[in-house]
Amino acid sequence: MSENNENWLEVSEESGIEVEDILRFDHNNKTYCIYKLEDGFFATDGFCTHEDVHLEDGLVIDDEIECPMHQGTFNVKTGKAISPPACEDLKTYPVKVDNGKILIKI
Amino acid sequence: MSSTKKISIIGAGQSGAFAANEIRKHDKESTITIFSDENYLPYERPPLSKDSIIGKKKYEDLSFFSNDFYNSENIQIENKAVAKVDFKTKSILTIDSKTQTYDSLLITTGSKNKKLNFGNDNEDLNNNILYLRDIEDSKKIKKAIDSFNSFVIIGGGFIGLEIASSIARLGKVVNVIEMGSQLMSRIIPKKIASIVLDYHKKNGNSIFLNSNIISARKLNTGYKIELHNNNIIEADFIIAGIGSFANVDLFENTSLKLENGILTDEYCRTSERDVFAAGDVANFFHPIYDKQIRLESYQHAQNHGIVAAKNILGHKIPYKKIPWMWSDQFDLNLQLVGVCDDFDQEIQRGNNVKEGIINFFLKNKKIMGACGIGLAGKVGRDIRLAGKIAESNIEVEMEELQNIEFKLNKLLKNNS
Repeated sequence: MSENNENWLEVSEESGIEVEDILRFDHNNKTYCIYKLEDGFFATDGFCTHEDVHLEDGLVIDDEIECPMHQGTFNVKTGKAISPPACEDLKTYPVKVDNGKILIKI
Repeated sequence: MSSTKKISIIGAGQSGAFAANEIRKHDKESTITIFSDENYLPYERPPLSKDSIIGKKKYEDLSFFSNDFYNSENIQIENKAVAKVDFKTKSILTIDSKTQTYDSLLITTGSKNKKLNFGNDNEDLNNNILYLRDIEDSKKIKKAIDSFNSFVIIGGGFIGLEIASSIARLGKVVNVIEMGSQLMSRIIPKKIASIVLDYHKKNGNSIFLNSNIISARKLNTGYKIELHNNNIIEADFIIAGIGSFANVDLFENTSLKLENGILTDEYCRTSERDVFAAGDVANFFHPIYDKQIRLESYQHAQNHGIVAAKNILGHKIPYKKIPWMWSDQFDLNLQLVGVCDDFDQEIQRGNNVKEGIINFFLKNKKIMGACGIGLAGKVGRDIRLAGKIAESNIEVEMEELQNIEFKLNKLLKNNS
């Protein structure tokens, strides 16, 4: 079950992060969003696929992230575009919590 | 199981397209026909005043759904205008003199622009003013701004200001003429409107408020406009965005009840049996505000069409969404939720556009509406939450709304 640690990047400490919180993570000129849902952490690309607006300012409703600019929505777990103007899916990334730290695999 | 029936939709905008999609999701049997008086698949309009005229988004990329989608979902698009609807025989006559009957009809004909008239002896001028409603209009504006340098925009509402910001971004000269004492005066609170005014000025646009046009003339090249306050503006082109009417031309002098659009109840039902209306064209009963309202916005058109679709399929779902709309100008995103003209308390959250400024409008400690402005999506989450809090009828405290460290979703969580 052990995972290769070299591809996992530390996002932040887990403590203090509440359900529906969104963390922004920037790495190698790319930006990502990490969401805390009731059943754990999930990650997607940071920018909405409709326009270059960061989803960290969006609203998490159940399993969906709603873009703060035009209310397009995506499923956080699958990246699927749910409601227009979003039509292109978001990329998703594995996330895990290890020793109290949130890690993302890019 | 739904029984097979003929469902017709007149109007191929956002409301019609999403209604068709919704019907097909739940009913694989019925025939669905969308009548369009344009030669395009249903497309989204917000980019027409922004990304499309500055060349950032291609017109062919604006369709909601692809041709393959309509084919595979068996949704028929008839690119021909409707000439007449006979509600008694439940039939639709198209301009090619063909008749089709319907079991259920959804009217989503949208709205049409108000036009300026500088007098019958000024036909040349009247006919050369550009307006924005559809792709063809947007292409004409794009062509003008690609080739010319100075523009007069008549009307300081959303469309006029969005076009003004697009043109300014291309480094061209823009003059905006507005009769009222503030921009976007119909629905946007004064404080937010003044931030927008300053932003336009900072970006080089000239804005003339409280200005009536006393004369307009076409010159050999360009136009000359004289305002009542002695200002004279010359420009290569005139673009006007002075509001719109519900597009009910087809139904004037018919039995369908009209009043500022097609009158419907909260279930999208019109005065005629098996006839529904949704989107801009519908003046619908809103149960939360307890009155008829007509809205012209993207989200509303879509959601209203979806609810109409469900009711066509036999449900009885009231449409009671809190109105929400946005406008993008320069790098600012403005959002409005609810109504901002019925309040006993106004509360501001945030103090700079970089992080977002929101004005909340409260009555008896409940949010009636909120309007915010900020870079990109900075106000989106809190505006959305304001709408949800308003829908939930939750009492709020001034200190909580003012405190930007306080997460507004806590108000919903504490109440659930």
